[in-house]
Amino acid sequence: MFRMRIILVGFGVVGQSLVKLLLMRGKELAEDFKIHPKIVAVVDSGGASLNLKGLNLGRVLAVKKEKGSVAMDEECGVKTVKASKIIEEVEAEVVVEATPTNIVDGEPALTHIKTALKTGKHVVTTNKGPLALAMPALMELAEYNNVLLRFSGCVGGGTPILDFAKKCLQGDKILSFRGILNGTTNYILTKMTYENISFEDALAEAQKAGYAETDPSMDVDGYDSACKLVILANWILGLKTVLKDVKIEGIRKITLKDVRDALDKGCEVKLIASAEEGGNLKVSPQLIPRSHPLCVGGVLNAVTFVSKYAGEETVIGRGAGGIETASAILRDLLAIKQDISLRSTYS
Amino acid sequence: MKLIMKFGGTSVADGERISHVCNIIEKYLKQGNKVVVVVSALAGVTDQLVKACGLAGKGEKEFIKGFIEELKKRHLETCRVAVKDEGVCRLTEKTVEDTLLELENVLVGVSYLREVTPRIKDYILSFGERLSTPIVCGALNSMGVKAEWFTGKDAGIVTDSNFGGARPLMETTTHQVKARLQKVLDENITPVVTGFIAADQNGVITTLGRGGSDCTASILGVALDVDEIWIWTDVDGIMTTDPKIEPKAKVIPQISYMEAMEMAYFGAKMMHPGAIEIVMGKRIPIRVKNTFNPENPGTLISSEQKVESTSIVKAISLIRKAALITVEGAAMFGVPGTAAKIFSLLGEKNINVLMISQSSSEANISFVVPRDTLEDALSILEVKLLGGKIAREIKAEDDICVIALVGAGMVGTPGVAARVFSAVGREKINVRMIAQGSSELNISFVVKEADGERAVKALHKEFGLEK
Repeated sequence: MFRMRIILVGFGVVGQSLVKLLLMRGKELAEDFKIHPKIVAVVDSGGASLNLKGLNLGRVLAVKKEKGSVAMDEECGVKTVKASKIIEEVEAEVVVEATPTNIVDGEPALTHIKTALKTGKHVVTTNKGPLALAMPALMELAEYNNVLLRFSGCVGGGTPILDFAKKCLQGDKILSFRGILNGTTNYILTKMTYENISFEDALAEAQKAGYAETDPSMDVDGYDSACKLVILANWILGLKTVLKDVKIEGIRKITLKDVRDALDKGCEVKLIASAEEGGNLKVSPQLIPRSHPLCVGGVLNAVTFVSKYAGEETVIGRGAGGIETASAILRDLLAIKQDISLRSTYS
Repeated sequence: MKLIMKFGGTSVADGERISHVCNIIEKYLKQGNKVVVVVSALAGVTDQLVKACGLAGKGEKEFIKGFIEELKKRHLETCRVAVKDEGVCRLTEKTVEDTLLELENVLVGVSYLREVTPRIKDYILSFGERLSTPIVCGALNSMGVKAEWFTGKDAGIVTDSNFGGARPLMETTTHQVKARLQKVLDENITPVVTGFIAADQNGVITTLGRGGSDCTASILGVALDVDEIWIWTDVDGIMTTDPKIEPKAKVIPQISYMEAMEMAYFGAKMMHPGAIEIVMGKRIPIRVKNTFNPENPGTLISSEQKVESTSIVKAISLIRKAALITVEGAAMFGVPGTAAKIFSLLGEKNINVLMISQSSSEANISFVVPRDTLEDALSILEVKLLGGKIAREIKAEDDICVIALVGAGMVGTPGVAARVFSAVGREKINVRMIAQGSSELNISFVVKEADGERAVKALHKEFGLEK
């Protein structure tokens, strides 16, 4: 049985979903994968909950729900402690970073990830900010410190877009790719196309349905798609690239007329993120033929990879959501477990 | 243009030279360039620090006071001459004094512990640049040029923890240097950065090894994606050969990265090969220029292999103080691993092998090592190889030198070797050993020490380098 000690930083929707998933699937994980994940620390904005033998997961969830912060736990709670201090000083195999995304300077997540790598801990992150701003640097630090940095949950949520490209197309060579990487904008554009309502109205509906934030800029101005594009380009094409290398255009200017004109041509307007051969990175609204597999509706994501020998393949799936993203974290944790056991076999 | 300008130790040896250097910087700033300045320690200071390190490590304490006083006198004097503005001068003096106080404490500490680990040595060696750089920065400020100084660590250079010869983590460095220095440049402030020193990921000070300031220039150049890197030194550029041997030697206007690396390896002390390697991928040109003759265009090192039909060979260097070792024995014939055995023994003793040659009969292997490592090399080889095991005999000659010809024009040009050896033959010089890399960028051979200079002159003439 493999005991994996985990420090969970960030306890919002994704963090809580992960804990729920571990609660639900704990027995199955032990039986099928011989892994026993133990969360030794949970950090949120109020402080931390800490137990080196493994926290009681049900209790952590209850304290968070009732008192607002895991630090309020009477036995294990530690108030006013910095996440980076916990990451540095608590012994663990893996740090899961699930704090909110910041694309200005990537903080505090950037410091969390660097600290974890420096102290020899594997990292699973669902936070796109640090990767979009400094992915080549973080990959280098991980390699130098001989640990893994995984981020499946950053792109495609539960849909294994990264693994599909990296593993399933091993042996082939991916030349370029393009796709819909943001569910919110796709929801808005689908509404505009099929319900004939303006951008503003569609946005309001997306906000009501909980798909869009009060400040929708990350989504509708294309930054979220651009962050994911950077991650894909680094991971799959091996480019050393960051957010400011991407040309970004959002969907605010898309009118009903644009949408109708597209339909007349047998197309739909989609917010497409693309990496061309030669490394040109771009996010912009494009016309996609309705017969093309990329032309998916609602909150779905879709990416088409163009590979040298196998031609075009398209992956389609739900791109976001708490439990979906938590399942991606679990996928990363299992990959890390596999890697650690391989290392101990050969060394 | 965005430029890195690195000034070596002789360019900043005293106050007047620093003033001169600042005038050069100001001139290029006024032409609208953005400049990042990289500064070495004042000439000779790093060597003094190495010595102090050794003494303190043996437990000596008496020398420390005098040593610190000597450094203080020299740096304060330099400061007073270079930094004209009184207020700025006082601030700079304070920085120098504080830094020296820290150095004194460190040396006293080391003398009690009687131990100098590579990590401590790097920390002590970092003081040379930490003393010189604020003076250059102060001098610029007092001229009215807005400047700010950084240690390599504060500039954001991150390396591995290989103290004494650390290698940069380039992606991490790029991320940090962009965040810290680009902002300063955008505000029209000139960053002045210590050469040679950096820090590992935990913030512990490291050094980049010999010629490390060149590496600093290259690292910053790549991180900031500059147009050119200028290395200011005390000669006009890279020469066709040492002018002390052949007064007709000329400055080479342009050479390729590969040629420059070959030359650096064969003793042309112009550029650290590591510094060239760092910029090769990004194809950033390096210009070697003379601080004392700034109008001279110097030598441009770039990716273009500009090969003129007349210049098959671009430069000839002479490596003195070498020794030749030959390991002989029929038992080596057809036995795999003999060469590996020999060179791993030398590697264990940290002996650098300059040149290798093996006859295809496999009955002997010859190689060249620096003369001061000859005894070490012989003792380990004799113990491990003689006595019927692998070798029958180990011969050594300690009065030889190596001559190396470098030039991309040799690639695929038939008859170069013939010209080389007939020119040497006409001088009645006996060639002891020959090696040519399969890159064909260089041919090197061994002659008696006494014949070295004559061979260089003959070749310089044969390949028309004086024209």
